Amino acid sequence: MDMGMTGENIDVTAVERIVAETGRTQDALVPLLQAVQEEYGYLPREALEHIAKITGIPPAAITGVATFYDEFRHKPIGRHVISVCHGTACHVKGAPVLSESLAGYLKIPEGEDTDPSGLFTIRKVGCLGCCSLAPVAQIDDVIYGHLTPEKLPSVLQDFLAQADAISVQRSGDVIPQGRAGEVRICLDSCCVARGTERVHQALLRAISETGARVVVKRVGCVIVCNETPLLEVLVPGEAPYLYARVRPEDVKAIILRHFRPTGVRRVIGSAVSRTLDAILTDEAWEPVTRYSITARDPQVAAVLDPQKHIATEDYGCADPTDLQEYVAAGGFTAFENSVTHSQPSEVIEEIMASGLRGRGGAGFPTGRKWAGVAAAASGVKYVVCNGDEGDPGAFMDRMLLESFPYRVIEGMAIAAFTVGARRSYIYIRSEYPFAVKRVREALERCRSAGFLGDNIFGSGMCLDISVMKGAGAFVCGEETALLASIEGRRSTPRVRPPYPSESGLWGRPTLVNNVETLAVVPWILRNGAAAFRRLGTPGSSGTKVFALAGKTVRGGLIEVPMGITVDKIVNDIGGGIAGGRVFKAVLIGGPSGGCLPAGLADTVIDYDALSEAGAIMGSGGLVVLDDSDCMVDIARYFLEFTQNQSCGKCTFCRIGTRQMLDILTRLCSGEGRSGDLEKLEDLARMVSAGSLCGLGKTAPTPVLSTLRYFRGEYEAHLEGRCPAGRCKALVTYSITDDCIGCTRCAQHCPADAIEMKPYEKHEIDAARCIRCGTCLSVCAFNAVKVE
Amino acid sequence: MPVLTIDDRRIEVEQGATILDAAARLGIRIPTLCHRQGLEPWASCMVCVVSVRGPDGNSRLVPSCASRAEEGMIVETDTEDVRRARRLAVELLLSDHLGDCIAPCQQACPARMDIPRMIRSIRSGDFTAAVETVREAIPLPGVLGRICSAPCEKACRRGRYDSPLSILLLKRFVADADLASASPYAPPAAPSLGRKVAVVGSGPAGLSAAYYLLKAGAAVAVFDGNDLPGGMLRYGVPEDRLPRDVLAAETDVIRRMGCDFRMRLRLGSDLSLDELRADYDAVFLALGETVPSAGIPDGLETDEHGIRVDRKTFQTGIDGVFAGGDCVRPIRMAVHSVAQGRTAAFSIVNYLAGGCPAGRHTPFSTHIGRLLEGEIDNFLLEGDPRERVLPAGGASAGLSRDEAVSESARCLHCDCRRQDDCRLRSLAEETGAKGRLYRYSLGEGVPERRVFRQDASHPDVIYEPGKCIACGICVRIAEKALERFGLAFVGRGFDVQVRGALDRSMRDALEKTAGECADACPTGAIVLRSPVPAPRHRDSSER
Repeated sequence: MDMGMTGENIDVTAVERIVAETGRTQDALVPLLQAVQEEYGYLPREALEHIAKITGIPPAAITGVATFYDEFRHKPIGRHVISVCHGTACHVKGAPVLSESLAGYLKIPEGEDTDPSGLFTIRKVGCLGCCSLAPVAQIDDVIYGHLTPEKLPSVLQDFLAQADAISVQRSGDVIPQGRAGEVRICLDSCCVARGTERVHQALLRAISETGARVVVKRVGCVIVCNETPLLEVLVPGEAPYLYARVRPEDVKAIILRHFRPTGVRRVIGSAVSRTLDAILTDEAWEPVTRYSITARDPQVAAVLDPQKHIATEDYGCADPTDLQEYVAAGGFTAFENSVTHSQPSEVIEEIMASGLRGRGGAGFPTGRKWAGVAAAASGVKYVVCNGDEGDPGAFMDRMLLESFPYRVIEGMAIAAFTVGARRSYIYIRSEYPFAVKRVREALERCRSAGFLGDNIFGSGMCLDISVMKGAGAFVCGEETALLASIEGRRSTPRVRPPYPSESGLWGRPTLVNNVETLAVVPWILRNGAAAFRRLGTPGSSGTKVFALAGKTVRGGLIEVPMGITVDKIVNDIGGGIAGGRVFKAVLIGGPSGGCLPAGLADTVIDYDALSEAGAIMGSGGLVVLDDSDCMVDIARYFLEFTQNQSCGKCTFCRIGTRQMLDILTRLCSGEGRSGDLEKLEDLARMVSAGSLCGLGKTAPTPVLSTLRYFRGEYEAHLEGRCPAGRCKALVTYSITDDCIGCTRCAQHCPADAIEMKPYEKHEIDAARCIRCGTCLSVCAFNAVKVE
Repeated sequence: MPVLTIDDRRIEVEQGATILDAAARLGIRIPTLCHRQGLEPWASCMVCVVSVRGPDGNSRLVPSCASRAEEGMIVETDTEDVRRARRLAVELLLSDHLGDCIAPCQQACPARMDIPRMIRSIRSGDFTAAVETVREAIPLPGVLGRICSAPCEKACRRGRYDSPLSILLLKRFVADADLASASPYAPPAAPSLGRKVAVVGSGPAGLSAAYYLLKAGAAVAVFDGNDLPGGMLRYGVPEDRLPRDVLAAETDVIRRMGCDFRMRLRLGSDLSLDELRADYDAVFLALGETVPSAGIPDGLETDEHGIRVDRKTFQTGIDGVFAGGDCVRPIRMAVHSVAQGRTAAFSIVNYLAGGCPAGRHTPFSTHIGRLLEGEIDNFLLEGDPRERVLPAGGASAGLSRDEAVSESARCLHCDCRRQDDCRLRSLAEETGAKGRLYRYSLGEGVPERRVFRQDASHPDVIYEPGKCIACGICVRIAEKALERFGLAFVGRGFDVQVRGALDRSMRDALEKTAGECADACPTGAIVLRSPVPAPRHRDSSER
């Protein structure tokens, strides 16, 4: 990223190269802009002008698209980007306070996102997909978890120290492909004092056990002494990875993660990769926990596991990109059998018989959709896999794409065979660069192996699949918006019908299916519709993958048979509510979904049962709330998300959601007016009834469902009370007589609202207090009271 | 070819036709804002929603402009749900629509005179048009041009920058120039109504009522106990403030319009209300300030201020008897009395026509209200930056022709150029939308509304983004015409705006289609620069 450039004089030769590599038609526009931003760090106006000049793409289209997606910037970016996750889990664990404190600490002016020195740019991001580390922030490539406002200074210091260290080394230190990797370990005095020597021994042992091609280097002090023991791993051809606070028992897992073991050791390697995930999410790492960008949530495994793995079959033991392994386990047999032994109509029959319904949320019968596209009279058809999973707090699709890319590809290939498509797209949201990379790799291997390309299995079938990387817009999850995005236009939805099955990409019949839907297709064909149907309920067969997050003891991805009760998910799989608190409600379906109160925990996971209860199946976000969570705040949070993600086309969604948000914001800040609840409810019903697309139609659901089950909480807010003590403006912090005057709160208060008075009872200045909760968390004497 | 039912009527349409097309075929009008013949449907404004009953019996709302008419469809265009949805859509659009339908000066004028229009006529040198506009609302402009307390000038936006427009003197200039001409302006009389109205009192309220009654075709007799007409104008205002020849000239206009002035006849001693009621079809009492109950004819109800009247129609408790001016409530502001006389005349004409007096309807209007920091600078784009013109001959001489023209150039044109044919405004009227039902208030530091801006770079059109409702018609027109730059939607969601592509101004963005865009814009967002205004032959504040 070159920071020396200004808007006035950029070198546009890079634009010419990018256009030559990417294409000059409108469907190349999003990738073009992505590449330009990659080059300059933002979209300089001159670059956009130049694109218009040399491609002939209309300027209005360029401006429209360049300003539609969250990913595109129009101002230079800071040297480092801090992405603060505002996913659901992070929200309930304090992301708003975190963002506010961070902006304050960096002295970022109101309305700006970059600090005056141009060092850091702060972004709010939807969900980084690390919900069990919440709240998290990602600084460049490093994820920091379990953050609190008082940790921020040390996190930034840590990052800068590390960034400096790396930037000094970076230029010369990327090891070329083909050479042995390197692990660097500091053995200076402070490191040795903190146990680095034992880590060093473990490292040498691990290398000899795994046979990895790795050279161990002792290096000088790496500056971040408070983070030692510290390992830096250099994989040939890649930027260095840095691991902090490494324990001897972690070392082997780290080595296995980066260096493929040889021969029989491979098996061990795969098994251990799950152990590593567990280590990476260990909450015990204090005060600063840094994770490599590859740190993600692990699968949850309970002792008595009621889960059933279909989409996630073989989880934890398969190497995601190993095509041979996938084939050895029966992969692509369903595709081959379909192509060589079946008629498309037979495949459709089987899918229909399985009762599979769309896993993207709406639950439309998949077989019927396939039949519709198959029947459409057109020589050109498309299959599109919708991987624009955008619900904050949901990351099922990311996991499926990263861990089981071949399964999704096989599902798509079967779909393409069935409907008669030769060209297909996997649309993956931009926040999932790893998934993009992995799926591209997987596609390349499939082409080499003959599973994609011309004359597949000698049958004459031709198919190619390409990846389209999104650019940050939740509305792309709506199928007509998604197709507009692939075509290189602003992704605004349109009225259906015509449905994409009749008129989709470039006006051609197009099958749009969700990732999870496609991922279970090979299983159904291999094991038979009946086997699938045996799972679940009459109306909802098979399994569903959920991202379990929030206040349970365990969180992460789960795959459960339909028909399981919410209670079983929360208590048996999630291990109940953490911290001795009381189970209050679950939110199912993210910002388009609703809540189920604890009293209805015997509701089963079933499309119709959930919708009857005012929630939806959704794409699989499942957030558990306890008694410290405020339902009005939750509704406001979700609405803020959808309001922010509205495409702005239709009046009800563009302005209606804003008006609803306004009322909710008033309620949460104690400024509710009489009549607000009626007005909110009325707006919610009308926005839901009148909006153009699913985003607008479902945006009011969290509001309506919390109003349905927790109206009392809304009424309390109207009276200026927040029963859960969550809404900042409605609570006050005070210090009780239990205070012994240890000064800890005063030292940690980021707002200087507590004067330091050793051995005296402290006091909180309510006018200065920003209600961040730091004093409460640092007080060892339970002397901070919240009312 | 699909056959569908709309409001219980069957219609067959060609494949691919929309519900809107089908309804039009049946003569069923469905309102639209974002729809334009010849452009692809866009479905953004949502005022065209209709209810479609599905096979399951449940109804859902769909935008008719973009929804395909399908076989067996059952459509309803006027259900309670549809009306609510349309009203809400309009209310939501209005909540985010920044503009003044009518200018603050006109809003502040008790007589709602179309001040900006008068000023534009002066600026273009069309003084006849100017006096026509003035006399639409004020029948005594020479008088009021001297004695009015000019609330309009207090409201004038220009006053936030330097000093307000000299509205009072401009009006006086228009009146004086007209009276000094060979044939002073008198409004064309409507065909005779064949009805007679007695006006008691020849003060500002009485004269005003007489003027507008005559204009509407009624026969009018004005009764007054004094020797000469004018009431308080003649007997209360010092002569140095109001030269009597000005008053005489303006009463002469009314006389020439056919008014029968019956002087030296006092109600009570010389005339009785019952006699007047017997001889005339209606009576308007403009008695001037009365000590409560003294001088008020028997049989009329009174309140603490004077004669009790309906505040909208000015009708008293007695059928056919109306009252206005200071005898209803002493305000001692001539322009108020003039305004009431005019409203009462309107109401009396309705009474004469149908027996049922109807008050004047105040049309729906949006208002910007108080300006935000720095906004005035953007208004200045449309005004001559020079300071207020002071009459060289002193205040008593008034403005000269050149001075008036030069002062008129300072006007900022706050009023909407599309106030008469704004589709959003008329839909607000039609749906009964409330303009201020939904307002924002998101914490401190966040403006509660859009910020006023205007792009005056284009020679033909002005663009006011605050009024844009993001219907995208102009974007589609420019795209279709292959404009070199064109217009683009910029941003997303609530903050989406229409702007020139690649940051171009309107001048570059619309090289070919500015006129078409202005014509198609459903509000006053993209609008032709004001040409010389044509005379407006109707009451400017009535619809």
